[in-house]
Amino acid sequence: MDPLKDAPLVETALVVLPHRVVWHEPAGRTWGSIPDSRELWSILWDHRSELVGVAHTHPGLGTARPSIEDLTTFAACEAGLGRRLFWWIVTADRCVKYQFRGPDRLDYVGDEDPFHSWLDELRARSSSGDP
Amino acid sequence: MSGPGARVRAIWAGQDGELPQPVPFDASDAVIRESVAEAIRDGAIRGIVRDLGVDLRDFVVDRIPASEDDPIDRIFVRPKTGFGATWTSASG
Repeated sequence: MDPLKDAPLVETALVVLPHRVVWHEPAGRTWGSIPDSRELWSILWDHRSELVGVAHTHPGLGTARPSIEDLTTFAACEAGLGRRLFWWIVTADRCVKYQFRGPDRLDYVGDEDPFHSWLDELRARSSSGDP
Repeated sequence: MSGPGARVRAIWAGQDGELPQPVPFDASDAVIRESVAEAIRDGAIRGIVRDLGVDLRDFVVDRIPASEDDPIDRIFVRPKTGFGATWTSASG
Protein backbone atom coordinates (compact mmCIF):
# COMPACT_ATOMS: atom_id res chain seq x y z
CA MET A 1 0.00 0.00 0.00
CA ASP A 2 1.25 3.44 -0.83
CA PRO A 3 0.50 5.59 2.24
CA LEU A 4 0.32 8.81 0.28
CA LYS A 5 -1.65 7.47 -2.64
CA ASP A 6 -4.02 5.53 -0.44
CA ALA A 7 -4.49 8.15 2.29
CA PRO A 8 -8.14 7.98 3.41
CA LEU A 9 -10.51 10.10 1.36
CA VAL A 10 -13.82 9.36 3.08
CA GLU A 11 -14.24 8.50 6.73
CA THR A 12 -15.48 4.93 7.11
CA ALA A 13 -16.37 2.90 10.17
CA LEU A 14 -16.97 -0.63 11.26
CA VAL A 15 -18.30 -2.35 14.34
CA VAL A 16 -16.03 -5.07 15.69
CA LEU A 17 -17.66 -8.23 17.03
CA PRO A 18 -15.83 -11.31 18.31
CA HIS A 19 -15.79 -13.16 14.97
CA ARG A 20 -16.88 -10.63 12.35
CA VAL A 21 -17.31 -6.96 11.58
CA VAL A 22 -20.29 -4.92 10.50
CA TRP A 23 -19.50 -2.11 8.07
CA HIS A 24 -20.89 1.38 8.56
CA GLU A 25 -20.69 3.58 5.46
CA PRO A 26 -23.60 6.00 5.74
CA ALA A 27 -24.56 8.58 3.17
CA GLY A 28 -23.23 12.02 3.96
CA ARG A 29 -19.82 10.97 5.24
CA THR A 30 -16.94 13.19 4.18
CA TRP A 31 -13.17 13.25 4.35
CA GLY A 32 -13.47 14.53 7.89
CA SER A 33 -16.70 13.22 9.37
CA ILE A 34 -19.24 10.45 9.68
CA PRO A 35 -22.72 11.76 10.40
CA ASP A 36 -24.73 10.69 13.41
CA SER A 37 -27.09 7.86 12.51
CA ARG A 38 -29.73 5.83 14.25
CA GLU A 39 -28.58 2.89 12.13
CA LEU A 40 -25.18 2.71 13.84
CA TRP A 41 -26.79 2.99 17.25
CA SER A 42 -29.15 0.12 16.34
CA ILE A 43 -26.16 -2.05 15.39
CA LEU A 44 -24.45 -1.30 18.70
CA TRP A 45 -27.61 -1.90 20.70
CA ASP A 46 -28.55 -5.13 18.92
CA HIS A 47 -25.06 -6.55 19.50
CA ARG A 48 -24.44 -4.99 22.90
CA SER A 49 -23.74 -8.28 24.67
CA GLU A 50 -20.88 -9.18 22.32
CA LEU A 51 -19.51 -5.83 21.18
CA VAL A 52 -15.75 -5.40 21.11
CA GLY A 53 -15.64 -1.85 19.76
CA VAL A 54 -15.80 0.50 16.80
CA ALA A 55 -13.10 1.54 14.33
CA HIS A 56 -13.15 4.56 12.06
CA THR A 57 -10.71 6.28 9.74
CA HIS A 58 -9.19 9.71 9.92
CA PRO A 59 -7.60 11.42 6.92
CA GLY A 60 -3.90 11.56 6.27
CA LEU A 61 -0.93 9.87 7.84
CA GLY A 62 0.41 9.37 11.33
CA THR A 63 -1.20 8.90 14.68
CA ALA A 64 -4.75 10.22 14.84
CA ARG A 65 -6.11 11.63 18.07
CA PRO A 66 -9.82 11.62 18.75
CA SER A 67 -11.64 14.86 18.14
CA ILE A 68 -14.16 16.30 20.57
CA GLU A 69 -16.84 14.83 18.27
CA ASP A 70 -15.19 11.41 18.64
CA LEU A 71 -14.75 11.64 22.40
CA THR A 72 -18.31 12.70 23.08
CA THR A 73 -19.54 9.82 20.92
CA PHE A 74 -17.31 7.36 22.78
CA ALA A 75 -18.65 8.60 26.12
CA ALA A 76 -22.29 8.75 25.06
CA CYS A 77 -22.33 5.28 23.49
CA GLU A 78 -20.67 3.73 26.51
CA ALA A 79 -23.11 5.50 28.82
CA GLY A 80 -26.01 4.21 26.75
CA LEU A 81 -24.66 0.67 26.59
CA GLY A 82 -23.59 0.59 30.21
CA ARG A 83 -20.18 -0.79 29.31
CA ARG A 84 -16.79 0.25 27.96
CA LEU A 85 -15.62 -0.45 24.41
CA PHE A 86 -12.45 -0.16 22.36
CA TRP A 87 -12.36 2.66 19.82
CA TRP A 88 -9.82 2.40 17.00
CA ILE A 89 -8.80 5.38 14.90
CA VAL A 90 -7.09 4.41 11.67
CA THR A 91 -5.05 6.57 9.32
CA ALA A 92 -3.32 5.49 6.14
CA ASP A 93 -0.34 4.16 8.05
CA ARG A 94 -1.27 3.89 11.75
CA CYS A 95 -3.89 2.30 13.96
CA VAL A 96 -4.44 3.38 17.55
CA LYS A 97 -6.84 1.79 20.02
CA TYR A 98 -8.46 4.14 22.53
CA GLN A 99 -10.15 3.20 25.76
CA PHE A 100 -11.52 5.05 28.74
CA ARG A 101 -9.04 5.94 31.46
CA GLY A 102 -10.83 8.58 33.49
CA PRO A 103 -11.60 10.13 35.80
CA ASP A 104 -13.01 12.78 33.47
CA ARG A 105 -15.70 11.42 31.16
CA LEU A 106 -13.73 12.37 28.03
CA ASP A 107 -10.39 11.04 29.28
CA TYR A 108 -9.41 8.29 26.85
CA VAL A 109 -5.92 6.87 26.32
CA GLY A 110 -4.52 5.36 23.12
CA ASP A 111 -2.06 2.59 22.30
CA GLU A 112 -0.68 1.50 18.96
CA ASP A 113 -2.62 -1.53 17.79
CA PRO A 114 -1.57 -2.22 14.19
CA PHE A 115 -2.56 -5.84 13.60
CA HIS A 116 -6.15 -6.54 12.65
CA SER A 117 -7.64 -8.57 9.84
CA TRP A 118 -10.02 -5.74 8.92
CA LEU A 119 -7.43 -2.96 8.61
CA ASP A 120 -6.61 -3.31 4.92
CA GLU A 121 -10.25 -3.44 3.88
CA LEU A 122 -11.14 -0.49 6.12
CA ARG A 123 -8.44 1.62 4.48
CA ALA A 124 -9.47 0.41 1.01
CA ARG A 125 -13.13 1.28 1.59
CA SER A 126 -12.11 4.65 2.97
CA SER A 127 -10.00 5.37 -0.12
CA SER A 128 -12.59 4.29 -2.63
CA GLY A 129 -15.80 5.23 -0.87
CA ASP A 130 -18.40 7.52 -2.34
CA PRO A 131 -19.59 10.11 0.13
CA MET B 1 -50.62 20.37 22.59
CA SER B 2 -52.81 18.67 20.01
CA GLY B 3 -53.35 14.94 19.80
CA PRO B 4 -52.37 12.30 22.34
CA GLY B 5 -48.67 13.21 22.34
CA ALA B 6 -45.67 11.05 21.53
CA ARG B 7 -44.39 8.00 23.34
CA VAL B 8 -40.78 8.45 24.38
CA ARG B 9 -38.34 5.55 24.53
CA ALA B 10 -35.01 6.08 26.25
CA ILE B 11 -31.71 4.27 26.58
CA TRP B 12 -29.42 4.39 29.60
CA ALA B 13 -26.76 2.08 31.05
CA GLY B 14 -27.65 -0.89 28.90
CA GLN B 15 -31.35 -0.60 29.68
CA ASP B 16 -34.29 0.80 27.81
CA GLY B 17 -37.76 1.86 28.72
CA GLU B 18 -40.58 4.25 28.00
CA LEU B 19 -41.58 7.45 29.75
CA PRO B 20 -44.82 6.83 31.65
CA GLN B 21 -46.48 9.87 30.09
CA PRO B 22 -46.49 11.07 26.48
CA VAL B 23 -44.85 14.35 25.53
CA PRO B 24 -45.62 16.85 22.77
CA PHE B 25 -44.11 15.59 19.52
CA ASP B 26 -42.73 19.06 18.83
CA ALA B 27 -41.19 19.60 22.26
CA SER B 28 -37.60 20.77 21.99
CA ASP B 29 -34.73 18.31 22.19
CA ALA B 30 -33.57 19.95 25.41
CA VAL B 31 -36.97 19.59 27.04
CA ILE B 32 -37.24 15.95 26.01
CA ARG B 33 -33.74 15.13 27.26
CA GLU B 34 -34.45 16.80 30.59
CA SER B 35 -37.77 14.99 30.94
CA VAL B 36 -36.07 11.67 30.37
CA ALA B 37 -33.19 12.51 32.71
CA GLU B 38 -35.58 13.55 35.46
CA ALA B 39 -37.57 10.36 35.01
CA ILE B 40 -34.40 8.27 35.30
CA ARG B 41 -33.32 10.17 38.41
CA ASP B 42 -36.76 9.45 39.88
CA GLY B 43 -36.75 5.80 38.86
CA ALA B 44 -39.91 6.43 36.88
CA ILE B 45 -39.05 4.51 33.73
CA ARG B 46 -39.84 0.84 33.89
CA GLY B 47 -36.84 -1.07 32.64
CA ILE B 48 -34.26 1.54 33.68
CA VAL B 49 -32.89 1.47 37.20
CA ARG B 50 -32.94 4.77 39.02
CA ASP B 51 -29.68 6.66 38.51
CA LEU B 52 -28.96 10.04 40.06
CA GLY B 53 -25.90 10.38 37.86
CA VAL B 54 -27.71 10.16 34.53
CA ASP B 55 -26.13 12.47 31.94
CA LEU B 56 -27.78 12.80 28.55
CA ARG B 57 -25.84 15.78 27.29
CA ASP B 58 -24.52 13.86 24.25
CA PHE B 59 -27.73 12.01 23.49
CA VAL B 60 -29.84 12.85 20.46
CA VAL B 61 -33.58 12.87 19.88
CA ASP B 62 -35.08 10.95 16.96
CA ARG B 63 -38.69 11.68 16.02
CA ILE B 64 -40.71 9.08 14.14
CA PRO B 65 -44.11 10.43 13.09
CA ALA B 66 -47.16 8.21 13.07
CA SER B 67 -47.70 6.14 9.94
CA GLU B 68 -50.08 3.56 8.56
CA ASP B 69 -48.00 0.82 10.14
CA ASP B 70 -47.71 2.56 13.51
CA PRO B 71 -50.39 5.12 14.39
CA ILE B 72 -48.42 6.59 17.31
CA ASP B 73 -45.88 9.41 17.17
CA ARG B 74 -42.67 8.14 18.71
CA ILE B 75 -39.55 9.76 20.08
CA PHE B 76 -36.28 7.97 20.81
CA VAL B 77 -33.55 9.37 23.02
CA ARG B 78 -30.28 7.64 22.28
CA PRO B 79 -26.52 8.27 22.26
CA LYS B 80 -25.02 10.26 19.38
CA THR B 81 -22.94 8.24 16.96
CA GLY B 82 -21.17 10.78 14.76
CA PHE B 83 -17.41 10.97 14.30
CA GLY B 84 -15.20 13.82 13.11
CA ALA B 85 -11.55 14.17 12.29
CA THR B 86 -11.14 17.80 13.24
CA TRP B 87 -11.24 19.41 16.66
CA THR B 88 -14.40 21.40 17.24
CA SER B 89 -15.75 23.26 20.24
CA ALA B 90 -17.70 21.03 22.60
CA SER B 91 -21.45 21.18 22.23
CA GLY B 92 -23.60 21.97 25.27
